[in-house]
Amino acid sequence: MKRVFHGALPSLLSIALALAICFVALALSRSDVHLATDAYAQMIFGGVGDFPSFTESGRWGVLTRPWGESTSRAALLLLTGLSVAVAFSVGLFNIGAQGQMTVGALLAAVVGAHVSLPAGIHPLVGLLCAALAGAAYGSIAAVLKVRRGVHEVISTIMLNWIAVNLIENWLVTGPLRAHSEGTVSIAGTDQILPTAELPRLLSDGSRIHLGFPIAVLIALALWAWLSRLRHGFETRAVGLGPEAARTAGIPVERRIYQAMALSGALAGLAGGVLVLGTEFRFPAVLGAPYGFDGIAIALIGQNHPIGVAVSALFFGILRAGGTRMQLLGVHKSFPELIQGLALLFVAARYVWRKLLSGRAARPSPRSSEVQRA
Amino acid sequence: MTPTRSILFYTAAAALILIPGCKKSEERSASEKPAGTVLKVGIVTDVGGRGDQSFNDSALRGLELWAAGKKYTGTGYVDTTPAEVKATLPPDLAARTPPIEKLPGVTPLVLQSRAQEDYEPNLQLLADQGAGLIIGTGFMLENAIEAAAKRNPDSKFLLIDSPLLDAAGKPFTLPNVRTVVFKEEEGSFLVGAMAGLVSKDGRVGFVGGMEIPLIKKFEAGFKAGVRTTRPEATVLTAYTGSFNNVAAGKQVAQDLIAKGADVVFHAAGSDGLGVIQAVKDARAAGRQVYAIGVDSDQSHVAPDAVLTSMVKRVDLAVYETVRDLAAGRFTAGDAAWGLKEGGVTYAPVRIDFPQRAAVLEKVEDLRRQIIEGSIRVPATDADLASFKP
Repeated sequence: MKRVFHGALPSLLSIALALAICFVALALSRSDVHLATDAYAQMIFGGVGDFPSFTESGRWGVLTRPWGESTSRAALLLLTGLSVAVAFSVGLFNIGAQGQMTVGALLAAVVGAHVSLPAGIHPLVGLLCAALAGAAYGSIAAVLKVRRGVHEVISTIMLNWIAVNLIENWLVTGPLRAHSEGTVSIAGTDQILPTAELPRLLSDGSRIHLGFPIAVLIALALWAWLSRLRHGFETRAVGLGPEAARTAGIPVERRIYQAMALSGALAGLAGGVLVLGTEFRFPAVLGAPYGFDGIAIALIGQNHPIGVAVSALFFGILRAGGTRMQLLGVHKSFPELIQGLALLFVAARYVWRKLLSGRAARPSPRSSEVQRA
Repeated sequence: MTPTRSILFYTAAAALILIPGCKKSEERSASEKPAGTVLKVGIVTDVGGRGDQSFNDSALRGLELWAAGKKYTGTGYVDTTPAEVKATLPPDLAARTPPIEKLPGVTPLVLQSRAQEDYEPNLQLLADQGAGLIIGTGFMLENAIEAAAKRNPDSKFLLIDSPLLDAAGKPFTLPNVRTVVFKEEEGSFLVGAMAGLVSKDGRVGFVGGMEIPLIKKFEAGFKAGVRTTRPEATVLTAYTGSFNNVAAGKQVAQDLIAKGADVVFHAAGSDGLGVIQAVKDARAAGRQVYAIGVDSDQSHVAPDAVLTSMVKRVDLAVYETVRDLAAGRFTAGDAAWGLKEGGVTYAPVRIDFPQRAAVLEKVEDLRRQIIEGSIRVPATDADLASFKP
């Protein structure tokens, strides 16, 4: 337990420092400490539930709705964060989660709108197709890497642009655009069928849906796979040193293919959860850059599935709650600022280690993976 | 060990600062003054957001400046005087009856959206904050408005630029939602007519953003207008495929100018700023070229180069809906605002060209004919094909 705490300490301190710096900056820029405390309070209400308003009015909605917003964002961040973390574990830096997510989202939207299936299995089929599409897209980078030695950072960045231009700028505005009458414009593709929607856990009380529990289960499964099962161990061994792994008889190429396919599948799944969970269609522009945020979430979570889950939930809450800060005139990008600062401090983990010194400084194998990547 | 402890200490200290902060605001919100005559009106902007110089800014102007009499300064609102507000009104609106003036008690709540998936939670948040009217700017908010309006039957909603659409793309109505769409083709017709009269060589250009039905309305109206005043003229058409790529707009416009277009109308959002830039550059190189802006009066972007702008009165639609609500006259349903309703028009022409007075007189005459109904302006390619001036 103590070891876990020491391992997580740099991330926790980075987040605390980022929160503190943003707090001071906000208070100074408006020369008003109350405004800053109010803004942070609003962020908490918007992220975990508006308790004051609930005790006042007794309406459950003000309490439960923020849960839906936090968890639906957390689910996406968690899946893309895991996607990046899995690629890290085999020693690859997958910048392509955004593109894989876009491909997955499109597949989910098409399967959701144009395939008729019973309610129970329709969302599952949609998610499966999204994951397969993401896996296929992620595998392209793995093939280029193994067969031709193309660096995955370069190939995944380029594949991102291909996905965005092909899907957002052509398919979604062209052949797959939603049907409408006369001069009316609709943003995005056709709406998915009601059977394809991911079930809402609290029906109308909140948008909290099955995506978050699914993402958490996947995080647990990944943790078990990486730390307890042979294939997971071999994957990490390839990440730590491919030549040594090869000498030890581990099929390096196969592990790279598997890890990149899994990484792409997780990102594709994020796209599926976005479409089937809250958007119900491929929107005109695929929302926030969750694929890129995944890199930050993975780093702050130190590439440990459980760490990624915790940081995804935290930043999901921060994002959802941050919207409420606008009610006090705080800029809409404030939550991203906190996330960016936290990432900056996590990246400076050497400094933390030096400060924490002594026993706490024992370098864990995971952190060395990050630095190498 | 000491550094560890000191860091933990500071973290704890930071937490201690935060916790009383939460408590304080709980007390505050509990002791908030009763609503009384305060009418909270919320706006959720689309991802273009504040500062887009056209669509969203226009909606914000209608609520913040006209209805609430407040100016946004970057960190908050400052009050304005009625004279200040009046000075910002174009002549046709300044002369309007009943006059546009501050509505007592209107308090704006503005939420900007960082991404598409923010629309619905933002609308819901405004409803939870007790907003009497919630405004969504842009057809991209259609889904979100539909969901929020169904969940909050006691709140009123205004959707700009689209009717409510069901899953099959058919329009329908809800008892608490008003929608306003604009007859962009009518305004575009007038600037097209002007372009036809101003063009020297009979070649004019149209630059669209994404090739969607909404932008096709601009194109059809513009072409019909050109055909009316200059039947032999050619309209060169190009689409940039986006609304947020200034460089693409510039490139496309340079191409049209090189092919001989001497008046270029754009309906391309931010790409249009590139169109105006290209026209400005061509003028600097000695070509006699004009640009026609869109949505807001874009004359200030390049005062010499912008002939006029096809103005969409989003601000007026917002203001009138707030006024209706304040007076207890809010009605749900769909409205289409054209020239007759003052929903579209062209911005004051501030530059000089040969036979300026005659041109403007002719355009005003066409405006009358459209309002009377003797000209029916086409809104689609199909209608345009059968349009006879």
